[in-house]
Amino acid sequence: MTQYIKKATAAEIINHWLLAGSFFLLAITGFGFLFKLEWMASIFGSFHSMRTIHNWSGVVFIIALLGTVFHYLPVALSWSKDDIEWFKKAGGYLSKGVKVPPQDIINAGQKLFYLFLLISGIVIAASGFVIWLMAGVREWVLISHLLHNIAFDLLVIAIPLHIYLGTLANPGTFRIMVYGTVPVEWARKRHGKWVQRLGY
Amino acid sequence: MARKALLISPELCIGCRGCQTACKAWNQLPATKTVNKGTFENPPDLTPNLYNRIRYVEVPSETNMVRWLFVSQRCMHCDDAGCIRICPAPGALFKTKEGAVAFDKNKCIGCKLCVAGCPFNVPRYDEKDKISKCHLCSDRIAEGLSPACAKTCPTGAIAYGDRDELIAKAQKAGYQKLYGEADLGGLGVLYAFKDAPKLYGMIEKPEIPETVLFWHKVLKPLSYIGLAGAVAAAALHYIAIGPKRDEGGE
Amino acid sequence: MTNQWNDIKNADVILVMGANPAENHPISMRWVMKAKERGAKLIVVDPRFTRTAAKADIYCPIRSGTDIAFLGGMINYILQNNLYFKDYVVNYTNATYLVNPEFKGPGELDGVFSGYDPKTRKYDKKTWSYQLDENGIPKKDPTLKDPHCVFQLLKKHYSRYTIDRVAQITGAPKEKILEVYKTYASTGRPDRVATELYAMGWTQHTVGTQNIRAMAIIQLLLGNVGMAGGGINALRGESNVQGATDQGVLFHILPGYLPVPTASLTDLNKYIEKYTPKTKDPKSVNWWSNRNKYIVSYLKAIWGDKATKENDFGYQWLPKLDEGQNCSWLVLFDEMFKGRFEGFFAWGQNPACSSGNAGKVRKALAKLKWMVNVNLFENETGSFWKAPGVKPEEIQTEVFFLPCAFSVEKEGSITNSGRLAQWRYKAVDPPGEARSDADIINELYFRVKKLYQKEGGKFPEPILNLTWNYGERGQDGKIKKVNTHLIAKEINGYYLTDIFDTKVTPPKQIGKKGQLCTNFVTLQADGTTSCGNWIYSGSYTEKDGKVINMMARRGRKDINGLGLYPEWAWCWPLNRRIIYNRASVDLQGRPWDKKRAVIWWNPEKINPQTNKPGTWEGDVPDGPAPPMGMEGGKYPFIMRPEGVGLIFGPGLNDGPFPEHYEPLECPLQENPLSKKHRINPTVRLFYPVKGPHDMPAEKGPEEDIFFSCDIRYPYVATTYRVSEHWQTGVLTRHLPWQLEMMPQQFVEISKELAAEKGIKSGDKVIVSSARGKVWAIAIVTERLKPFKVMNQTIHQVGLPWCFGWLYPEDGSGGDSSNLLTPTIGDANTLIPETKAFMVNIEKA
Repeated sequence: MTQYIKKATAAEIINHWLLAGSFFLLAITGFGFLFKLEWMASIFGSFHSMRTIHNWSGVVFIIALLGTVFHYLPVALSWSKDDIEWFKKAGGYLSKGVKVPPQDIINAGQKLFYLFLLISGIVIAASGFVIWLMAGVREWVLISHLLHNIAFDLLVIAIPLHIYLGTLANPGTFRIMVYGTVPVEWARKRHGKWVQRLGY
Repeated sequence: MARKALLISPELCIGCRGCQTACKAWNQLPATKTVNKGTFENPPDLTPNLYNRIRYVEVPSETNMVRWLFVSQRCMHCDDAGCIRICPAPGALFKTKEGAVAFDKNKCIGCKLCVAGCPFNVPRYDEKDKISKCHLCSDRIAEGLSPACAKTCPTGAIAYGDRDELIAKAQKAGYQKLYGEADLGGLGVLYAFKDAPKLYGMIEKPEIPETVLFWHKVLKPLSYIGLAGAVAAAALHYIAIGPKRDEGGE
Repeated sequence: MTNQWNDIKNADVILVMGANPAENHPISMRWVMKAKERGAKLIVVDPRFTRTAAKADIYCPIRSGTDIAFLGGMINYILQNNLYFKDYVVNYTNATYLVNPEFKGPGELDGVFSGYDPKTRKYDKKTWSYQLDENGIPKKDPTLKDPHCVFQLLKKHYSRYTIDRVAQITGAPKEKILEVYKTYASTGRPDRVATELYAMGWTQHTVGTQNIRAMAIIQLLLGNVGMAGGGINALRGESNVQGATDQGVLFHILPGYLPVPTASLTDLNKYIEKYTPKTKDPKSVNWWSNRNKYIVSYLKAIWGDKATKENDFGYQWLPKLDEGQNCSWLVLFDEMFKGRFEGFFAWGQNPACSSGNAGKVRKALAKLKWMVNVNLFENETGSFWKAPGVKPEEIQTEVFFLPCAFSVEKEGSITNSGRLAQWRYKAVDPPGEARSDADIINELYFRVKKLYQKEGGKFPEPILNLTWNYGERGQDGKIKKVNTHLIAKEINGYYLTDIFDTKVTPPKQIGKKGQLCTNFVTLQADGTTSCGNWIYSGSYTEKDGKVINMMARRGRKDINGLGLYPEWAWCWPLNRRIIYNRASVDLQGRPWDKKRAVIWWNPEKINPQTNKPGTWEGDVPDGPAPPMGMEGGKYPFIMRPEGVGLIFGPGLNDGPFPEHYEPLECPLQENPLSKKHRINPTVRLFYPVKGPHDMPAEKGPEEDIFFSCDIRYPYVATTYRVSEHWQTGVLTRHLPWQLEMMPQQFVEISKELAAEKGIKSGDKVIVSSARGKVWAIAIVTERLKPFKVMNQTIHQVGLPWCFGWLYPEDGSGGDSSNLLTPTIGDANTLIPETKAFMVNIEKA
């Protein structure tokens, strides 16, 4: 019988889905505004209600994003030689049979991704709030508008990759966000340090 | 249809402000309670209920005691309008067939990005957070009438007509180059200035903010190119290398 | 106006002095700017750099009240440099006329003309007369050399007005003065023409009439009267003031400028005798010799069949003035203040704000038993009893308010400054109980009449006998609603019987009984015609049995591209667009300026009147007679018995030539031109003066107090209007759109004065005079500069009079600047001197 270990708490899972869900809404409404997509606006009612949804999704997004700080920030900031090695080997994604150094509960790529997400998430949210709440203050809005869109571009590139890596590219990963548990053997291969630390 | 425009000639303007009242009358805009701040100029700035106003500028003169310039301030109806570029709500700001930058309050979502996109600081928002500004009396000009301000101007300081004809007329009157003739794809409000625009309190070279242009030209296309690229890269990876599986490994 | 609003576009030089058309007559600037487009020069002379000055090619500042000094200097400049239009001056003015050798000017008599009596403060005008030849015709010297000819007297009089002295008095920079003179005098040629635009900036002075006279002299010297683009043009302060004046809404004139009779003129013959000027010069048309026809036709119009030859056509029913009695504005309110009136109709006016020394008016209103305020809105006059500082419980005056219709709520004619009567139509009904003025008068008439019928009275005939056929009558005999067309027809006049021209044989019929008169030429002195106002005869007429309202015409045919449009509405007299136009041609009837020909004599064309070749073309000429140099030719200025323009004008109270006097309140100890007479020596005083410099006496009526050259009130002030408000603002202060632009009383002051007083732009300040004070927001500006006057620095300030305490309701607008202005008027018209007085300014 496969032995499972808990990798994510319920709070983590809920928070992640809030973040993912709000991001999804934000991203598609963002595209709606960017390209003035009437059909999309009609799904949300109107551009006006779409704006409301976009803005309030932003509130959910930033709360969820800040929630992740408790979950991932300490580990994302703990870097070791193994992490560098991991990167040198591109996480083993570029060819089969490459051995990567043992990783913590999240691997080096995930650490970097998290830091990127945190920073760009804060930027896109903060600039979004400026555009929303400081509407009409020209200089602030202009710079925020720029940052909001730069962050948006980065996120719409990074998030699909994150989804790919968390699903198709790594079978067995997605269940973390469903059950919070992974098979020990699965974890040992990917998060050796963590498993070891847990004493398995 | 030939592009329509206003030709403003401060040399002809007598500062009577018939245009201010006519505009309010036609557009049914309520008045604001004001105070005298030590100048004839009032209200001190454009408001959601003040689409056009006359600025009174005292500048030194070589021949007379002083020069007192009267300059109309309003939406310039840019050909390449920063407000339309940045506006996220389709139809909230739009170009009429005459070339006016008009708006539809029903479609405005109140985001005020147009304020940031406008080089002339024109858009204002009403109490319902809807865009409010000069629309060149788009309802009048669509029926072949001239805008209320031009109609009421006693001296012809605000002239309305075909843009090309107005430019030709001004050139005949000795104005080699009009303010707004070439800026931003050509403004729909042209000024016949005798001196540098700065003297009249105008921006020397109006431009849509660089950031807006960068966003429009680079970031906007990059968003879907980036998204598509990320998806494509993932697919490619899946096909070429495939997922990380645990089979056969230690 | 001698000319028309749109004729301004024909000028080469436009002098705006005593006016501010950009702000008060904005539409006129259309024509000014059109003239400028043609290359015309705009000159603005004003104490303040106004919105009109902003358009000027030359702006020259002068201290308030020194216009005659400035214009006198121009006359001197023109004469010294021989810039006058000699042919015009010699033939069309009285420059050549020889004057009584006893006549002396202020240069010789230290400030007064010959004949002055300091006790009565009046002139005996005996010496202001022409030398007559054996035929009783004035002697002339066409060479202009005789020392007693008008030209030489003029030269002598104004030789005292040197550039240096003008600069010293006015405070204007010398080079600016010269630039103005040079530019304006450049029109003393046949092919150049200048016009002058003035308004209350000239009239509202103790020398108001003489300001205009000075300009008339200049225009005559330069040959600019009668010309297209020329003339002297009064910009009337309201759209129909010209019409009101024409219809006799003044105490001393009946409709059509017929004088109101005085008590000593006990019958019609005496009246006609007194007011019919005589001339023995056969070349003079002397149009006022028709006075008898006009007065009789007028009497027939108002009393109809009741006016018979036997009863002097009802002449006795006309109100008569006592000899020397003056009932003009200042006197009326002085009398009211003294409690001599029971009641008062304030009809379409707001004297509590508009009158000079408005504070006195407000007090005077409290002396009334009743007042009827007829207006569109409640105003400061009707609400005087609840003004700040007034205790309503102490006021006994009963005030009635009658709401009246606005101009677009009624039909009728309106006569603009250019004498152009245009018919207007009603757009909407007046709201609520508001009625047109005519309907209010109609109601009043029938009620007063009923009272006379019921109760009798001292002198009922003038009321009981009035014709009043202005519409359909109800069962009670009352006119239900006034039809203004019927009034217009009565003004035009009717033939009461068939009229024949008996000078020709056989007599030719010129009028058919019951028909509307063709024009005033056909009016009769025997009671066979009626005409409510002779100058409007021809405005509503009949041709081939068809009634034509000439004022409603909208034809667009023009003459020579001048913009005269003779088929657009109708212009008095006789649809003449430019008066004195016979002076625009030479002695042979050829236009001085062919490019801008107003009229011209066509020697070939058959004259329909005489059936002989030779007739006038173009505008309606001032009389059909051939040009002056031809057989049967007449002089051009047909309204004068002399037939020529008056450079020497003996008709006024204060002198045949304009002379500079200081305003009642001025910053100078003495008149720089004469040691003895600081102020106009013939003005009617409301507060006694003493000493050689007309300083205020120790005692006098408190309300009329003035201080001149007084350290407590060191700054020269003037008042004005702004584009954004209409008169006292009763119409516009209720329009939030207008108030938004001009919300509050302000005072414009120079940067120099502001620095001296520590005042910043936007500060609230108190402006005070001997009579009152108002608060105002300081507008500190480059557009006012201190003057150097007689080597002293004099500060000039200015404030508008369009505000009042009643509206806006929160009192944020301030109050009328007329609370500051003095009780003094022009020596001829008594129009209050509100354009020059002394104030103090302190930070509030």
